Amino acid sequence: MGWAVGVCWASRRVGAARARFLSVGMAPGPRQPAGVPLGGPCSVTPVSRMATVQGELIKNLTSKESVPHNKISIVGSGSVGMACAISILMRGLSDELALVDVNEGRLKGETMDLQHGSLFVKMPKIVSSKDYQVTANSSLVIITAGVRQKKGETRLDLVQRNLAIFKLMISDIMTHSPNCKVIIVSNPVDILTYVTWKLSGIPQTRVIGSGCNLDTARFRYLIGQKLGIHAGSCQGWVLGEHGDSCVPVWSSVNVAGVPLGDLNAQLGTDQDPERWKDVHKEVVSSPYEIIKMKGYTSWAIGLSVADLAESLLRDLRRVHPVSTIVKGLYGIREEVALSVPCVLGADGIAGLVQVKLTPEEEARLKKSAETLWGILRALEV
Amino acid sequence: MSTVKEQLIKNLVVEDKISHQKITVVGVGAVGMACAICILLKDLADELALVDVAEDKLKGEMMDLQHGSLFFATSKIVGGKDYRVSENSKLIIVTAGVRQQEGESRLSLVQRNVDIMKSVIPALVQYSPDCKMLIVSNPVDILTYVVWKLSGLPAARIIGSGCNLDSARFRYLIGEKLGVHPASCHGWIIGEHGDSSVPLWSGVNVAGVALKTLNPNLGTDSDKDQWKNIHRQVVESAYEIIKLKGYTSWAIGLSVTNLVESILKNLRRVHPVSTMVKGLYGIKEEIFLSVPCILGQSGISDIVKVNLNSEEEDLFKKSADTVWNIQKDLVF
Repeated sequence: MGWAVGVCWASRRVGAARARFLSVGMAPGPRQPAGVPLGGPCSVTPVSRMATVQGELIKNLTSKESVPHNKISIVGSGSVGMACAISILMRGLSDELALVDVNEGRLKGETMDLQHGSLFVKMPKIVSSKDYQVTANSSLVIITAGVRQKKGETRLDLVQRNLAIFKLMISDIMTHSPNCKVIIVSNPVDILTYVTWKLSGIPQTRVIGSGCNLDTARFRYLIGQKLGIHAGSCQGWVLGEHGDSCVPVWSSVNVAGVPLGDLNAQLGTDQDPERWKDVHKEVVSSPYEIIKMKGYTSWAIGLSVADLAESLLRDLRRVHPVSTIVKGLYGIREEVALSVPCVLGADGIAGLVQVKLTPEEEARLKKSAETLWGILRALEV
Repeated sequence: MSTVKEQLIKNLVVEDKISHQKITVVGVGAVGMACAICILLKDLADELALVDVAEDKLKGEMMDLQHGSLFFATSKIVGGKDYRVSENSKLIIVTAGVRQQEGESRLSLVQRNVDIMKSVIPALVQYSPDCKMLIVSNPVDILTYVVWKLSGLPAARIIGSGCNLDSARFRYLIGEKLGVHPASCHGWIIGEHGDSSVPLWSGVNVAGVALKTLNPNLGTDSDKDQWKNIHRQVVESAYEIIKLKGYTSWAIGLSVTNLVESILKNLRRVHPVSTMVKGLYGIKEEIFLSVPCILGQSGISDIVKVNLNSEEEDLFKKSADTVWNIQKDLVF
């Protein structure tokens, strides 16, 4: 039956070539093997004997559909989502990136724009759709969708606006990636981290709010500027609520293990002649400033999210200040999410670092917890 | 009373504030910022300067990048309206200019962008007389010529981003069709970065196997497999993306960063970028078009002499005419 096999082979190659002739911006990606038959098992159908270039060039060996490893999905193709995307792309963190948005036109444009840069990066599959099916089998889903903070609007004012969007989103995500970890970026992040956990039903350890990761990065940058040292060598932690009430843990601030508090007993207080407290003030005020000047923030949050993604996907077990349920810590009795130092790995939040806080710092965390709980109670989750 | 800094740090050497690998990006629109973030993520500079006339937007963008400092290795990010901030740059990336509107061709932007270059280029040269300049603003071939004239710098140091992106798109689409990564699909687009760009079908190959030997009709209208569509898609893709998201940014940012890397690291890789082509392929005017160029620390040190068949040479000359027709009427 040599000739039948020959025709069968040709029909599969022709079929595959036609299947690949899709407009840019649609799946499948380049990994789809040439030998995938279009309609069911190989059948002897009269087809043109024309061989395609692909068939002539490449002798196909495997017919297995590629399975994504470490697939990342980003919900929301706005400035924040796309900043996360470009950071992830350039760090080469996974082999597949999926984008979801309701705004189909913008989504398609952004996807095409990323795909056209494929020559320069090592993430071979970039797909997108309005339909969450495209996120299937994700290791990590990053939620940036939501309405943008308006000029002067506090994060808490965003809450009700974002809740409705989350209800639809979470069930879709979990349907298609039941084992994923989720990073929540949308604001107010601590509230939406709690909301995501409740709506998804997945363990707390797999729900990570980007929280104070960025506040801490800003803190360390500004400390570095004051000392003439790179941020990476300035240790310091901002914990608690992401936003106006975040807590700078002055006792944690050190360079090469030397606590700055040992050198300046007034560090972070109103009596401090060096006014280190202003560093924290700037951490809180700068996002509003940036929003006033350019309309939104994107680059720093994108970089900080990619940093979290790297720890999660590569099981690094680095410690990051991210938002997680903290009931039971620091005398907090409410089931709320706040940022504390968490060990991030392949399972998500593998552990929490129990930081010794001053009574004042503890009181601030407790106050944040109460405020957040007041809002959460009022929400229909 | 001594400060924390004085108590913490024993200073040994007075800091030398001169940067050795400074890059300036002119224009903090979508393209400029995409170039900036890609440059930061690829660790190509020790100092990044941003220049723009829109002071608020500039400051916001600069702060946003600075706040990410923990995550990359470029310790100095500065910005300002005053060109002094660009002083001592090794490389200046010019993205300033008005952007293509939906449906508008690159060529119609010309005069508006020429005027912008007149206000931008002389100051940049004054503060970085030894720099290389990478022109991205459209229409890039004409503006690269304009910048060359305005700067007074040797043509080798004025590089138009040209068809580097077109060729990247070309290779991406070829890769999609073959199920192979774009990096392993070789293909060149030269000429105008725009509607009259020239795809060199005879050079398209994988592992040295020219696709044209497998399909002699490759790239022609009689090709049953319609490979010509790929070039059409390359030409139309910018328009399509602009229609969908308002502008393009990521791919051009990545493509520019690819060029920056070759220049600053003196890699001597070959890229299809826009350079002075008078004397090549029978071209008699001083125009800039993309041809394969060797990029290194001097800028464009050499041009690769590609053998064009008569059809390709025709198309290249048509590209040249298209560009010259606009350029000859420019006032500056």
